[in-house]
Amino acid sequence: MKLERITIDNFRQYCGKQRVDFAKDEQKNVTVIHGVNGAGKTSFFLSINWCLYGKSLDNVKVIDNVGELMSKEAVNQAAIGDTIRTSVDLAFLHNGERYLVKRTLQGIKLIDGTVNVEDNDSFTMMRTKADGQAERINNPIGTMNSILPVNVREYFLFDGEKIDNFAKPEAAAQVKQAIYLVLKLEILERARRHLEAVATEYRKELKNKSGQQLRDLLEQEEKARAEIIKAKERIYDLHQEKESAERKIADIDKRLREMENTNILQQQRDRIERELKQRRTEMEDVVAIIRDLATSGYYVVAETAIKKAILLLEEKRARGEIPSDYRQQFIRDLVDKMVCVCGRPFCDGSEEHRTLLAKITHGLPDTLQDEVLNTCAVLQAFEQRTEKHRADVDSAMRRRAELVDIVSSLEAELDDVSRQLKGSPLEVISKLERNRENFHADIQGYILEIGSLHEREIKFVKDIAELKKEIDRARREEKREVLLSTKLDLAQRAADAIADMYQTFADDMRGKIQEKTKEIFKKLVWKESHFQDVKLGPDFNLEVIDRYGYSARPELSAGERQVLSLSFIMAMSRISDEEAPLVMDTPFGRLSSHHRNTIAEQLPILATQLVLFVTDEELRDEARQNLESRIGAEYRLEFSPRTSCTEIVEVR
Amino acid sequence: MHKERLSNLFETFDPAVKNIILGVLDIEQEHISMEKPRVKEHIDEIISAVAKKEIEKLDEQERP
Amino acid sequence: MDIPVSRDTVSIDESVHYIYKELTDGTDPVTVPFKTMKDVFMWAASLGNKRGERRPIAGKKLTIFRWAQFSSQTDIPVVKAISLADGDDINVLLSQDEMLNLVEEYANAGIHDLRTRLFDEHGQPLWNLVQCL
Repeated sequence: MKLERITIDNFRQYCGKQRVDFAKDEQKNVTVIHGVNGAGKTSFFLSINWCLYGKSLDNVKVIDNVGELMSKEAVNQAAIGDTIRTSVDLAFLHNGERYLVKRTLQGIKLIDGTVNVEDNDSFTMMRTKADGQAERINNPIGTMNSILPVNVREYFLFDGEKIDNFAKPEAAAQVKQAIYLVLKLEILERARRHLEAVATEYRKELKNKSGQQLRDLLEQEEKARAEIIKAKERIYDLHQEKESAERKIADIDKRLREMENTNILQQQRDRIERELKQRRTEMEDVVAIIRDLATSGYYVVAETAIKKAILLLEEKRARGEIPSDYRQQFIRDLVDKMVCVCGRPFCDGSEEHRTLLAKITHGLPDTLQDEVLNTCAVLQAFEQRTEKHRADVDSAMRRRAELVDIVSSLEAELDDVSRQLKGSPLEVISKLERNRENFHADIQGYILEIGSLHEREIKFVKDIAELKKEIDRARREEKREVLLSTKLDLAQRAADAIADMYQTFADDMRGKIQEKTKEIFKKLVWKESHFQDVKLGPDFNLEVIDRYGYSARPELSAGERQVLSLSFIMAMSRISDEEAPLVMDTPFGRLSSHHRNTIAEQLPILATQLVLFVTDEELRDEARQNLESRIGAEYRLEFSPRTSCTEIVEVR
Repeated sequence: MHKERLSNLFETFDPAVKNIILGVLDIEQEHISMEKPRVKEHIDEIISAVAKKEIEKLDEQERP
Repeated sequence: MDIPVSRDTVSIDESVHYIYKELTDGTDPVTVPFKTMKDVFMWAASLGNKRGERRPIAGKKLTIFRWAQFSSQTDIPVVKAISLADGDDINVLLSQDEMLNLVEEYANAGIHDLRTRLFDEHGQPLWNLVQCL
């Protein structure tokens, strides 16, 4: 992130619109902003924070003890009922793209002079595309988190008052926290935790599934198909057998017809069989008729209800509620025209008039009348229908009974013929007849078996249809399972990978920060020969080791402690390459002059962009000189007691 | 550079795993300011996408 | 007819569906007399009505056919007759919903009776059915 420009409008003691363009060259990367205490440095610092993050963000308090953000002067000058606006917009570069963020707060001035400030400020973030067009960013907080998250800001937007915090003995926790956040260890840790949680969920889901099902179902389907094939083959064989038996019977019949002793009997048999066939067909037809009559004859059962219904309808009719001839509309028309049905006019209030009116008010709505009339008519016809229906059924049943007898007697005749033939003294004839009888019995057997095999086939076909549905379902399940188990595998491996590398990474980072801190510390503290080493142990204590190998921390001067802290911060900044500007408020205030000078010289080299808020006391003489060549922008904050406003004045 | 370092950290792992880790890290970064971020859905999305690709790759390998 | 049309499906209790299937699933008219579920339903409703028994559908409802399958010559008049005989109120003719509810409840009671008469008595179902006339 590299700051380009800030525009402050009515923010605290900055009245109206004021602007600062930050130095951002590689060489001249230092912006100096002068001001005596109280001139507005803190507010300026605050404005950057507020612009980027607001008063608080996701429970991280950005601005403590804010008081009022709106410029008092602007409030004074506004008329009652006017809207007062406070805003800060910040343009910055990041990863080669230009962003513009703006935060606005507004309120209305009330009669008593106070401002009714809206609860929420408005925040917009835009990005300039390659073609120069600005596009709005829909997820500003997420984007800010990718650029400079709110919880690491204090290591970059840096309050100089806290400069020696990290070098204090009790600062270990703070140091750890700083590294944790800035170096994204927190992010790694969260990633690992969440991946674990996700893997656990996948595992739970997976447990509830069973892969066995599909296999079983497919087996079942195969079996069913095999059964169908078996049945079909058997049916085919049986048909063959039946046909062969039928042919044999036909042969026997032929012979019997030809033989002198038997041809009369055989002809008799031929005739009886023909008639039998006919009668059987007739019987089938009669049964079909009986069936149709029976299944449609339920209304016969309902005759009580029908009678009752007819009575009800007739009653309504009798009571005059249903004019059998008249219709409501007709009657209304008559009343309108004041003319009777027969054509004679009548007077208002006359008896004819009253009767007709009664017919309208006591009559039923037209639709209901239609219903009643139609239904009544149809139901009345049912009595006759019932009689006829019963008669038809009786006659059909009688016919069937007749046919049963006829068939019975025909069959008896056949038996008789057969007996005669079997009883023939001629061996050849009785044998033929006995064979014929056997074949006939065989055929009956085949027919039965074919019938039951057909049923079997049908059952299996139904089973297969059901199975198919289940198989499809199981297939879909399986696909889902495969996906789920792959996801589980990946999630778990990712979590494990992070766990694996985390410690190594953390140690590596700690090591690098240690080295960098040492490097920077050496540059900034010229008594380097006095110090041997800088250590950042696994306990996260920042230590300086003297040449005798002991911790030199007790001997560090206040200034040296501050420089150590600063070195640590700078080290973090470099290593994390968040590439954020270092904005420091009164960094030199508590340093000794020689430290100040060195720092002034080194800071611009160590930071990619530097914004320094200084009092004149801080930046003088040599320190100033050391900084000079790097200063790309310089401003002065001038506070006017009269207006209580600070004006930002460009110095160069 | 830091991001590169992170990326390099996972070089030795399966590219699919690496992709997931980098994706998840991005999500986490975006939500870093929240104490209880709702990232599970995003993470599931990332994993699903990578998983589907892996399955596809395997299917293709199985074809003669 | 200007009767306001509400629902036009006829339903039975899922738990008696098997009886309907028993009575229609098959080719032999003597053992499986009925061709359509509608016929079974009308018989059940008529029997239920004859015995004066109604049973509201307690379980899950299953649609087995639509109002359109009723014949205007026989089925619908019988439905109306049953509805009229039930409550003495001719306005029921204007509500297809009410009439359907009514016959469904009669059918729900009568279906068991039908089954008993056809299958539990001696003899083939078709002849038992004829006996009912």
